[in-house]
Amino acid sequence: MATNGKADTSSEEETETIISTAIETGESRDRGPTESPRTVVTARDLDVYYGQERALDGVDIEIPENRVTAIIGPSGCGKSTFLRCINRMNDGIDACRVDGELRFHGTDVYDQGIDPVALRRKIGMVFQKPNPFPKSIYDNVAYGLRVQGRAGEVDLDAAVERALRSAALWDEVKDQLDSSGLDLSGGQQQRLCIARAIAPDPEVILMDEPASALDPIATAKVEDLIDDLAEEYTVVIVTHNMQQAARISDRTAVFLTGGELVEFDDTAKVFENPDHDRVEDYITGKFG
Amino acid sequence: MSRNDYQQQLERLREDVLEMSDVVCLRLRKALEALETKDEALAEDVITGDHEINELYLELEGDCIDLLALQQPVAGDLRFIAASFKIITDLERIADLATNLGKYTRWADRDRYPDIDIRHIGTETVDMLEAAMAAYASDDVDAAYDVAAKDERIDDLCERASEVVVRDLLETEAVIAPDDALLDDVERMLLTIRDLERVGDHAVNIAARTLYMVENDDELIF
Repeated sequence: MATNGKADTSSEEETETIISTAIETGESRDRGPTESPRTVVTARDLDVYYGQERALDGVDIEIPENRVTAIIGPSGCGKSTFLRCINRMNDGIDACRVDGELRFHGTDVYDQGIDPVALRRKIGMVFQKPNPFPKSIYDNVAYGLRVQGRAGEVDLDAAVERALRSAALWDEVKDQLDSSGLDLSGGQQQRLCIARAIAPDPEVILMDEPASALDPIATAKVEDLIDDLAEEYTVVIVTHNMQQAARISDRTAVFLTGGELVEFDDTAKVFENPDHDRVEDYITGKFG
Repeated sequence: MSRNDYQQQLERLREDVLEMSDVVCLRLRKALEALETKDEALAEDVITGDHEINELYLELEGDCIDLLALQQPVAGDLRFIAASFKIITDLERIADLATNLGKYTRWADRDRYPDIDIRHIGTETVDMLEAAMAAYASDDVDAAYDVAAKDERIDDLCERASEVVVRDLLETEAVIAPDDALLDDVERMLLTIRDLERVGDHAVNIAARTLYMVENDDELIF
């Protein structure tokens, strides 16, 4: 396992081939409603250290496909660290060291043959604060495809429209695609960022508190959007808002202090009858 | 509201539900006493006092709704509030049944059926209700199961009592030549037995909600 992402030497094409093969050799994506979803991301005994400090402690988890998985826990419990491990966003941190296994469709995410840029094409990310580029709405959404050199391969206009429709923003911005993304409201900016994340057609969308900076109406729109996105994508969302996790997720993972994943189960089970007293104490506000 | 206040509100809810059950049990015992002694004044006291139970019920219902809306409880807290919400409904209906018993005092002649020990059936039923509330008070799962098991005995007692009434009716040939007084007695006695049996069913509901509250187990519900 690589200590961080800086050592990789492979090309995007190689990574693309490795990941695509892994996806294609998996089970069919078509499944009935009662069938168990297949696993997209698997962690086994995953430890993450920042220098001497352990941020994640032996995490085992299987993230199901086309489901919303919420990650909750107190500040400093490692939930964002785990999220950022999935598409190697921690690679830029020199002191960060990853031990154990983290697999995307069975492929070791930290294998030297994996190019993180290509990985992030399959596993996109949306951040806490809306961060559109100081470009037009159109260019914001097209950015990922252009950077990946795919602007010539795809019908860019169609791809932008599709992404904006998927992000439930098309009807609000279709007549102002040349306007700056920064002119949109906070909630619209966050949906623009979601459109930007899904334009390259990823498989997984990671969201790090995507609605924490939004008012209740914009939050409701993003939550509705997350629910819709799960039909096409696998969504993993970190949130401090437990009611939000309860509302929008299918599965909930509870991390507690020390970077330990204490409970991972169906969301209704976690919020109605958790197995662990420590989880009960945390979600009922008796923690600490 | 601080988390400490929230915990105190939860504890207060439990105390208030228990207080409501104390009042309901007292009303039930009074109704049984009125039936036994044909004390119409005591029966009237039960009947006119029912609005107090209704007001208490509405107050506690409001407390539950406030806790749900403002605290958005989860896990054990959620189950406790949900169970309490259901239990106060059972208690309110038991109070209605006590009111029914009070009304029967005025209209029925208990002496017609010396073989039916309404006091005994009633006392067993109230004891069962108190046991269910004790299980709720102390999160006692075993006691909740005991209440459910005891209901079979109440059902047997009620079934046998009903048989006595029906047999008596047939044997007196009142079917052929009924008089109003007899029909009143038959109807009121059967309703008395049915209402006591229903009190037992509500006690089982309370035990079932207690089991759900403590262990998230819906085995006793229905």
